[in-house]
Amino acid sequence: MSEAADRRLGWMLLAPALVVLGGLTVYPALWVFWLSFQYRIPVFSIARWAGLEQYAFLAVDPRFWSAARVTALFTVASVALECALGLAIALGLRGQHRGRRVALALLLLAWALPSVVTAKMFEWLYHPAGGLVNFVLGGRTINWLGDPALALPALIVADVWRATPFVALLCYARLLTIPPELYEAAQVDGAAGVQAFARITWPLIRPILLIALLFRTLDALRAFDIMFVLTGGGPAGTTETLTVYAYRALFQTLQIGFGSAIGVVVFVFVMLVAVAYLRLIGAEDAAA
Amino acid sequence: MARRPPRAAAVRLLLPLALLLLAAGCGERADRGRPITLVFKHAKILGPADPVPDLLRRFEAAHPGVRVQSEALTWSSDEQHQFYVINLEGGSPPFDVMMLDVIWVPEFARAGWILDLTPFVSPAERDAHFPTAIEPAVQDGKLWALPWFMNVGLLYYRRDLLAKYGFAPPETFEELIRQVRRIRDGERDPRLDGYLWQGKQYEGGMVNVLEALWANGTRLLDDAGRPFPDPERAREALAFLRGLIESGVSPGWVTAGDEELTRRPFGDGRAIFLRGWPYALDLFELPESPVRGRVGIAPLPRLSHGRVGAASTGGAHLAVSARTRHPALAVELVRFMTSEAAQRAMTEGAALRPSRPSLYRDPALVARDPTLPALYAMMREGNPRPVTPYYLMLSTTCQPAFSAVLVGLKSPERAMRDATVQIDQLRRATGQQ
Repeated sequence: MSEAADRRLGWMLLAPALVVLGGLTVYPALWVFWLSFQYRIPVFSIARWAGLEQYAFLAVDPRFWSAARVTALFTVASVALECALGLAIALGLRGQHRGRRVALALLLLAWALPSVVTAKMFEWLYHPAGGLVNFVLGGRTINWLGDPALALPALIVADVWRATPFVALLCYARLLTIPPELYEAAQVDGAAGVQAFARITWPLIRPILLIALLFRTLDALRAFDIMFVLTGGGPAGTTETLTVYAYRALFQTLQIGFGSAIGVVVFVFVMLVAVAYLRLIGAEDAAA
Repeated sequence: MARRPPRAAAVRLLLPLALLLLAAGCGERADRGRPITLVFKHAKILGPADPVPDLLRRFEAAHPGVRVQSEALTWSSDEQHQFYVINLEGGSPPFDVMMLDVIWVPEFARAGWILDLTPFVSPAERDAHFPTAIEPAVQDGKLWALPWFMNVGLLYYRRDLLAKYGFAPPETFEELIRQVRRIRDGERDPRLDGYLWQGKQYEGGMVNVLEALWANGTRLLDDAGRPFPDPERAREALAFLRGLIESGVSPGWVTAGDEELTRRPFGDGRAIFLRGWPYALDLFELPESPVRGRVGIAPLPRLSHGRVGAASTGGAHLAVSARTRHPALAVELVRFMTSEAAQRAMTEGAALRPSRPSLYRDPALVARDPTLPALYAMMREGNPRPVTPYYLMLSTTCQPAFSAVLVGLKSPERAMRDATVQIDQLRRATGQQ
């Protein structure tokens, strides 16, 4: 077969996937872009061109900047904790033989719960008067979700509880593929403990950790359920992320154009972060 | 599972037979034998026994050749709103009759999603409902929906504790605060809270703020839609709510409390007073409830300038989709489901409260639920939330500012200034100013 025919076959095989992706992802994304340049509130028959005005408003909108700050804080803190804890759990699992299956099953359970269910569960755990968290802390009445200083940390803990297993399982799977001979050889050479981790485990696990980081960051940037259920963005807007703000604009107050503009900004943030990560991962591959 | 009364079971057995006979007899009325299907969207009705299926069968029996297909909405009000918006704006397959939260009616009317019911509903039929239930369904002088069931904010109190200290249910918040102090001093129980209410940043928190404004004889918007017509009274009302927390009359966590999170501790006997909706009463009277037989209800107390029982109304209305292909039948269904007979069945079966004053004086119903006469006064005296198509925008815009007062991040003055800026911006954006 000629190269041209090969190429044609390739495109033909790709076509269905491209059409589906185009129809389900690219087309709606372009439509959201288009909407973001308009004032559109269908309920009040408002539909007129806005150009960049909605973006200009976002630039000076304190609620938007507060939401952006909350989103950034939430993402950095929860992803950092999830990766550190996930790696620690994976290392712990490798060294543990008894009860490993049970531990894996429990980890999967936390990850498999829909995040709305997780959120509802934490709502009761955090209940100031009857919640388990305060009970364990000796019957205090700490106002976890109603105190502006505690609400965001409380949400981060809930997200860490839910998503750490994902990182742990990815890392654990990678650890299983590291041949034990490497460690045996290291031991013969007198390198054990911290040194073995730094020279063998860390370089081998880093690429997979980066991928976990990528997935978790993108998820955290778009996090919605946990804050929506637990605090609704409160108290005083201190836990309102960009996605919650976009939801309120789009579906609660039906400002289709304005909500789309927020959506576009979230999209741009997510893309920038994804590209940065992919470059990092690419550099890692090139170095390997 | 709740057991159905035997009569209902018999009806269920006999009805298909009756329908078959009817269909055979009057087949020509139903478009050459092809039955008309009306789609009725509503939230699942909880309670001892869901009366909706039986009511729909009764409607079908009275309208041969018509079938009513009942489709359940999700439980959460936010998701219901989202569902309607996407489907009504997106033009998906239509439904004919829909259940709406009372605060959405003006919005849906303005959007042109629901049919004007004015020509179909006689003044007498309209007057058979509480004016406080009809008023929020009126927009531009037209009636857009009929009330299906109704809610009103009220004060729950521990009858046993108040009696022990010789108190009557408080008429003013000053009294309430005095009673809380006295009872907690006497009981010496650190786990006994004073007054629970809903201060979370959500619609329920908005309701509690509106009630504080009304309790002090003012409101959020004047007739022209301008915010805070009486700033001094509004400031007092907001400062009062924050003061409840600062003085310890209410625990700090009410700033994260919604209906259920506050209902539970009260139901466990851990609070003296609770602001809630009527549904909680049935839960307090369950056989396993620790406060069974020890809970009383009273109208919400007032502040210095307001009146007693200035609580928010709520509830569900039924409306007809503007895209229905059977408007006359759909309106018939709405009128049937909101009729006295249907509301009686809803009151008996689902423990929901009717919007028809006559049912609150119905001896059979009062015998089953002795709180109905007390609720009657509260329903009549209640206040609808601002009746405007912009209500949801208004509410979500103001919530962060009010929440900031409750948690002590902003002074009432500062929060009112911020809310005013936001409301003015909203009025400009939507061409109200």
